[in-house]
Amino acid sequence: MAHPMIRVRGLTKRYQRGGETLTVLDQLNLEMEEGRFYALMGPSGSGKTTLLNLIGGLDSPDEGELIVAGEDLADLSGADLAHWRSTNVGFVFQGFNLIPVLTARENVELPLKLTPLSRAQRRAQAETALKLVGLGDRMDHRPRQLSGGQEQRVAIARAIATDPKVILADEPTGDLDRKSAEQVLELLQRLNREFKKTILMVTHDPHAAERAQSIVHLDKGQLGRIEHNQAPVAAK
Amino acid sequence: MAPFVLVWRNLLRHPLRSVLTVLCVAIAVFLICFLRTMVTTLNAGVDAADNRRLAVMSRNGLFAALPLKYQAAIESIDGVELTTKFQWFGGYYRSQKNFFAQFAVDPETMFAMYPECKAPAEQIEAFRRNRTSCVIGSELVKEFGWKIGDTVPIIGSLNPHPEDKAWEFQVAGIYHSDVPNFDNRTLFLHWEYFEETLKAGGNPPGVGVFSIKIERDADAARVIADVEAAFEDSEQRVDCSTEAEFQRQFVTMFGNVPKFLGWIGSGVVVVILLACINTMLMALRDQAAEIGVLKSLGFTDMSMFMLLVAQSVLLCLLGGALGLGIAAGAEAPISEFMVKMFPGFAIHNDTFLLAGAAALAIGLIAGAAPAWRARNMPCVEAFRGTD
Repeated sequence: MAHPMIRVRGLTKRYQRGGETLTVLDQLNLEMEEGRFYALMGPSGSGKTTLLNLIGGLDSPDEGELIVAGEDLADLSGADLAHWRSTNVGFVFQGFNLIPVLTARENVELPLKLTPLSRAQRRAQAETALKLVGLGDRMDHRPRQLSGGQEQRVAIARAIATDPKVILADEPTGDLDRKSAEQVLELLQRLNREFKKTILMVTHDPHAAERAQSIVHLDKGQLGRIEHNQAPVAAK
Repeated sequence: MAPFVLVWRNLLRHPLRSVLTVLCVAIAVFLICFLRTMVTTLNAGVDAADNRRLAVMSRNGLFAALPLKYQAAIESIDGVELTTKFQWFGGYYRSQKNFFAQFAVDPETMFAMYPECKAPAEQIEAFRRNRTSCVIGSELVKEFGWKIGDTVPIIGSLNPHPEDKAWEFQVAGIYHSDVPNFDNRTLFLHWEYFEETLKAGGNPPGVGVFSIKIERDADAARVIADVEAAFEDSEQRVDCSTEAEFQRQFVTMFGNVPKFLGWIGSGVVVVILLACINTMLMALRDQAAEIGVLKSLGFTDMSMFMLLVAQSVLLCLLGGALGLGIAAGAEAPISEFMVKMFPGFAIHNDTFLLAGAAALAIGLIAGAAPAWRARNMPCVEAFRGTD
């Protein structure tokens, strides 16, 4: 296997619900190769989103080792973890999660405010990212003035603005119509193919999963089978 | 740091809510300025009191008159440099709504005792020579348009004229004082005319207050003790106090007004603070998911704390600035309106500073609780929003 971008060893996550301990991830072992597009599938409650949040440093495991982009996340906390996220991970959410009071350009510029770039450089980089996702003519629109597909493409532009190594997408097509979903999936494929981004996409949709090079199945917090897709479905 | 553009845009997210909060803070700041200025105006006499001046009044109260002969006895006490006497005249000009103070005074000593009461020397001399004359404050000139030589009829309600007519005084002089313990809305009439007229009616006047100026090196406490001791076995016992204490007693004559105003001001601030906390809790509820997103982008917990605090502080500072502007703009009209009850109403710079600091404090405190929640909220919880 090539150099792993994500390495998970004995990962366990439990939640307390109504006085009951719920084990969401149970001794999970997994490695994900750098520059590869993964789809993470499984029934509701199988721990997909929890795994995604742990890999993105948004949550912390109860047990186990988690190394992402060469960093053991257990060694990081607070501001260091926030800094690590800003440079290594881009998130794409099902509900887009754009800031409604900012324009598309300002939304994409947000993560760049954490970099030493000048205002002009930030602006230029945000514009480049928006053009890349095909929204060069919608830069000054607010989220409310965009369609769902356009909002998700802005979110992808925001996720790639700082040129992170890993893109974590949680049901990125879940709220989109088929045509918009195709555009978003095509974009993710392109980011993987042309920019060598490691992508981990949680999805329920088998058609969406067909775009990935590998499909990882989770069930009841444990790893199921891993399918390697020799010829992922190309964009239509 | 939290991006400033986000701080500002979040305030504009609910314009009506923000405007109402700004207005709340503006009203609070205006009221702080207004109420505190009432207190400082009331206390101005205390603060500006001359520590070489003492006041002597009857132990039975300000309205019980002391015998005239007490003046000579007071003057004989060691350390007394000068005395003068006042008696409340208690009249009105044309209508009782035209209320202003009138005092019968001794022109020979009154201006020497109160150098802050300034009038041209020739006008003081004219007052001294003409027993039916008076000296009026510059505010009365503005209010009634009187000028030197005019005859002012005053109906004596407390001291009616024995011939059952209005007292008539010729305006001999116009005084002006720049110190707050000497208001410019008083008429001073000649003691001798006052005394002779009442004597002729069979009702000789007493003295309301004797003012004493002590010698430069005299011990005020000792002089006070000597004055009170001198009349301990007399027909009227006296209270002698420093001018500052006398003014303080005057201010508190109708209860502890400054403390009462202070409580009102504090109550207003607490109510506005609660309203601002409520506004900021609603802001946190609106922005919870976005706080999760910002944290996922790499913004630190501390920057989320600052995002909420900055919104609260900016909102309150806008309200504070508006309140200070209203207070500054309303100062002159309020001063004009309240000249009868609170002469010398003027907002001091330290009051403006205090009110501004109160707005800042409201902003910091109102923002602190939701900001702390935003700081400690895990990303995954923030995505789900907050209750």
